[in-house]
Amino acid sequence: MNNESNSNELEPLNRAERESHEVIDNGPSGFASQLKGFWVTFRTMFKKVNTVQYPEVKEATAPRFHGRHQLNRHPDGLEKCIGCELCAWACPADAIYVEGADNSEGERFSPGERYGKVYQINYLRCVFCGLCIEACPTRALTMTNEYELADDQRQKLIFEKEDLLAPLRAGMLLPPHPMYPDADDQTYYRGEVPGASPLQENIAEPNK
Amino acid sequence: MSIQEIKNQEITSSQGADSAIEMITIIVDGFEVSVPKGTLVIRAAEKLGIQIPRFCDHPLLDPVGACRQCLVDIEINGRKFPKPQASCTIPVEPGMVVNTQLTSPVAEKAQKGVMELLLINHPLDCPVCDKGGECPLQNQAMSNGGGESRYEGVKRTFEKPINISSQVLLDRERCILCARCTRFSEQIAGDPFITLNERGALQQVGIYEKEPFQSYFSGNTVQICPVGALTGASYRFRARPFDLVSTPSACEHCASGCDMRVDVRRGKTLRRLAGDDSTVNEEWSCDKGRWAFKYEHRDRLTSPLIRNESGELVEASWPEALAHAAHGLSINRAAVLVGGRSTIEDAYGYSKFARIALNTNDIDFRSRTSSDEERNFLAALLLGKSVTYLDIDKADQVILLGFEPEEESPIIFLRIFKQVRKRGLKVSALAPFTSRGNEKLKATVIKNVGNEVEDISKFALTNRSVILVGERLAEVSGALTAALKLAEQSGAKLAWIPRRAGERGALEAGAIGNLLPGARQVADPKARQDIERAWGSGPLPTQTGLSTDQILDALHKGEIEALLVGGVDPGDISASAIDGLRKAFVVSLEIRNSAMSEVADVVLPVAAVVEKSGSFLDWQGRARKFEAAVTNSLHRSDVRILSILADEIGRPINLGTVEKAAKELASFGDGSSDQKSALASLSADQAKIKEPGKNQAILTSWRLLLDNGSLQEHEPNLAGTAHPCVAVISDDRANRLGVVDGDLIKISNSNGEIILPLQIGDIDPRAIWIPRNSENSRPLLALKSATHSLVSVVKA
Amino acid sequence: MNQPISSPYSDKDLAVMDSIVKRYPRTRSAIMPLLHYLQSIEGYVTETGIETIAQILSLESAEVNAVATFYTQYKRKPVGQYHVGICTNTLCAVMGGDAIYQSVLEHLGIENDGVTDDGKVSVEHIECNAACDYAPVVMANWEFYDNQNVESAKDLVDSMRQGNPPPPTRGPDRLVTWKEASAVLAGINDGLAHQGVQAGDPTLLGLKIAKNSKGGE
Repeated sequence: MNNESNSNELEPLNRAERESHEVIDNGPSGFASQLKGFWVTFRTMFKKVNTVQYPEVKEATAPRFHGRHQLNRHPDGLEKCIGCELCAWACPADAIYVEGADNSEGERFSPGERYGKVYQINYLRCVFCGLCIEACPTRALTMTNEYELADDQRQKLIFEKEDLLAPLRAGMLLPPHPMYPDADDQTYYRGEVPGASPLQENIAEPNK
Repeated sequence: MSIQEIKNQEITSSQGADSAIEMITIIVDGFEVSVPKGTLVIRAAEKLGIQIPRFCDHPLLDPVGACRQCLVDIEINGRKFPKPQASCTIPVEPGMVVNTQLTSPVAEKAQKGVMELLLINHPLDCPVCDKGGECPLQNQAMSNGGGESRYEGVKRTFEKPINISSQVLLDRERCILCARCTRFSEQIAGDPFITLNERGALQQVGIYEKEPFQSYFSGNTVQICPVGALTGASYRFRARPFDLVSTPSACEHCASGCDMRVDVRRGKTLRRLAGDDSTVNEEWSCDKGRWAFKYEHRDRLTSPLIRNESGELVEASWPEALAHAAHGLSINRAAVLVGGRSTIEDAYGYSKFARIALNTNDIDFRSRTSSDEERNFLAALLLGKSVTYLDIDKADQVILLGFEPEEESPIIFLRIFKQVRKRGLKVSALAPFTSRGNEKLKATVIKNVGNEVEDISKFALTNRSVILVGERLAEVSGALTAALKLAEQSGAKLAWIPRRAGERGALEAGAIGNLLPGARQVADPKARQDIERAWGSGPLPTQTGLSTDQILDALHKGEIEALLVGGVDPGDISASAIDGLRKAFVVSLEIRNSAMSEVADVVLPVAAVVEKSGSFLDWQGRARKFEAAVTNSLHRSDVRILSILADEIGRPINLGTVEKAAKELASFGDGSSDQKSALASLSADQAKIKEPGKNQAILTSWRLLLDNGSLQEHEPNLAGTAHPCVAVISDDRANRLGVVDGDLIKISNSNGEIILPLQIGDIDPRAIWIPRNSENSRPLLALKSATHSLVSVVKA
Repeated sequence: MNQPISSPYSDKDLAVMDSIVKRYPRTRSAIMPLLHYLQSIEGYVTETGIETIAQILSLESAEVNAVATFYTQYKRKPVGQYHVGICTNTLCAVMGGDAIYQSVLEHLGIENDGVTDDGKVSVEHIECNAACDYAPVVMANWEFYDNQNVESAKDLVDSMRQGNPPPPTRGPDRLVTWKEASAVLAGINDGLAHQGVQAGDPTLLGLKIAKNSKGGE
């Protein structure tokens, strides 16, 4: 296959092909087409302008715009990330680095056995393809619409876990803290945990 | 694998080997294949490159047919089995036609059905499972599974995970009951501490609740588990297979010579797996080899250190440190002590450095208790024929002299155990007591401490027998000579098994006072000329060098003022060694901060095994080559640093790279053949030990596999499975002392005391045995003697 | 190590165990009778018992434990003096076994595998007893009570609690206790083997018909 196509390229063009490549001078009729072209330019002068005065003015992105990643939390504040590294595996740019660790009774960051201890995304490498989001088995990793990811130092563009974690919302407790009373990891994945219970708070206190 | 190779394997594994191997031809998926009689269908198919999915099948374990994944359609001479059969349990028969999942829809459907069943109770927790990404269940569910499950019920659950030892975690939900782990423990390790318990849906792998899975080989069960049911505690959640860069390596812990695989993530070893070498470790490794590696990145020396005027070690630049070291070594009379863990290339570096840069033969690699008799024995040993694992496979009996295989060279233990189990290989041991390892080997133990030389001469051996001599036999004067004589008289094969990985290589590299590289005698002028010519050096020192003990003695007396040491723990040699070192100018090549840093004047950091290339000679004398697994390390191999140091001294040894050292050493060949006459005649009589008095006993000891060894530091999970640190005494003595199992006893002499819980054992009633280098039991330091001396034993 | 066996069992018991071991060419074969013998001493398989057997047979406790947990005949917790097994396999179940099982449990106020407070009776549902010809079948200490119904089964357990159970339908002339039955299973002859019917009429019915019919018609 390859050999054939290569040898074809090397052959001189035949006559018909050569003619098709020549610049065609259309004579006076060409002037009309030029006017037609300028008409597009002219017409555009009266259209509404798309340019905005960024950064003073910021337009909303498309709802599914691929922006900065976010590591989500369960409603009670525990992290959804289980440190499984599937995002890192899926990443075509090798931009994600994850190290998992063991949740212990005294120090729990996520439901189940495992949590992501180290989580880094290198935005110098990331191509925002979203394959990591597809790979995430717990919907821990999603993308926000935030696109302002420029900085003056390369180091600052490696985002750590704390840069990526979703903020605590109402009803959430800062991990580490135990799981919701009588809940297990399955309960969490099924979305049956409503929010932090006072019981979790009590036990979480000494950890702070 | 060619037919010839299979034939060879059969020959080596069957003891008779006289009968010709009967070949049977069968048809698998339309292709003919000829295999030796007794081959299983699944392996005959493998020979054709047809992979039948399987979980329980393992070539080194007895067939069991537990998982049923390998079902195939079989007919024999036109008669078809009514149902698909497990190809891992059926040996080939003439006229057999096998149709695997590739050609038989029945087999394919059966396999898919089995896979669906296996997955019914298997949790969908692959994202958190350590096996994820390298899991046979995952892979084969993809390649041979149905894709959809029809099961909608609730999965059976268990508490997860549970510790069945401090280093092995069991997740019973994931288990598919293939019984690989239980079969390994029983058939290979002889430690049936894990079993299949309960029945039906509740069947599960488990330990007896009070007895954790404390086998030295438990890590292998983690490696062969085809699902994530057994995982290692120290690798838990550390990485995914795609994070790891795998490098074939060799084990630095003992002289068994295991092939290993080192998995590195970002310059850090995260785990080690047993490599596959059928002539050495087969597919197994001991837990020390697998799990003791954190020493590589803890307490590492990162820059050279120099002792300043106020006596403190301070960081220095390389040129400064090298100049200081070179000065100290060249103005004083200097000697060299090499640790037992040098690669052969590094040992050769020390050997050449001593001869050229220091112009001395005062070099010794035996940083442990040793004797002059041993030195002569070793020189004689190199003249003998090499002994290999295959000789153990074929032996009519194996004699263990001063050697505890399970503790001191575990892979040799596995090899002997295999033959004991397979064909009742006769094993005899000369030991103070019947250890658990010897029990497993069903060994006849001759317990007669202090009378070893006479006992050795009593063995009746043939030319198919194998004598395995441990390094501890040197502690009994005359015993090595007796062993050598026994081998000569009976024609039996004799092998010397040092405990450490580097000793055999160091011997061959001439890192010892009486030998030059290539087993040449220092005393032989022709041998010296050979080496002088090869090195292009001036005349080599002619006097046989001092041994370790003599060097230390000379240090005490001030006859030697400078010492170059490479990876030596003075506590391994004697309690007073460190005092001698204090007096001298010491240059230490070390990977980590160690006891040597206390006394060293210059410390030069060197590379650990993962960071360098090189090779170890295992006990067979076979080179176990390895490449650097961590390639971006700033550390350099000992030999490179020695070469620079020699340049600094002004007597270059020209060994800039490991490759160069290896090539140069190889070029010497074996110079031992024509020098038998040069051997010092071996003779020594055993020193008589006084009969112990009423409350006295003869002290005996050896090192346990898992103990206080410096390469096992920072491994709490591993240490959790060490054998208990106990003193073994006889029933008789326990009665006399009025003590029972577990009571504390005090072992003491004029130098000090050791207090240990006791265990009543089948021991020479005059003797007591204690671990040599475990927590609370370091007799060499506490009692200034490790063996064959009288101690008093009383109730504590 | 050939240590003397250290266990709390009496010398007599240890001697019996030793005699059991000697019956077999391979000592390991004695695991099952030894476990039965333990049950005849203590009523169930205790940890001490498992460890003792392991010592006697030079096995690991884990190996003995594996056998003890596999067979349901070995009990890991105390059972009653009379251990009642009610067959709930297909044939017995449709003939009334399920109903017997439920009502006996309710009558005694215990769960499956439970023991009455007085320690007299325990109940478990068991798999086929190979007595379908007498279905529904109830067993007590492995002896048959054939053709039971809810009432007769209740009467049976009541009589057990009073300490005077009727003799089994087939089997010895008196119902032995759980411990006695365990000793028999360990191979210790109680001299009752010859008593009672071995194969009753329903069992032999098929054979009789076959013999009476002419040559395989």
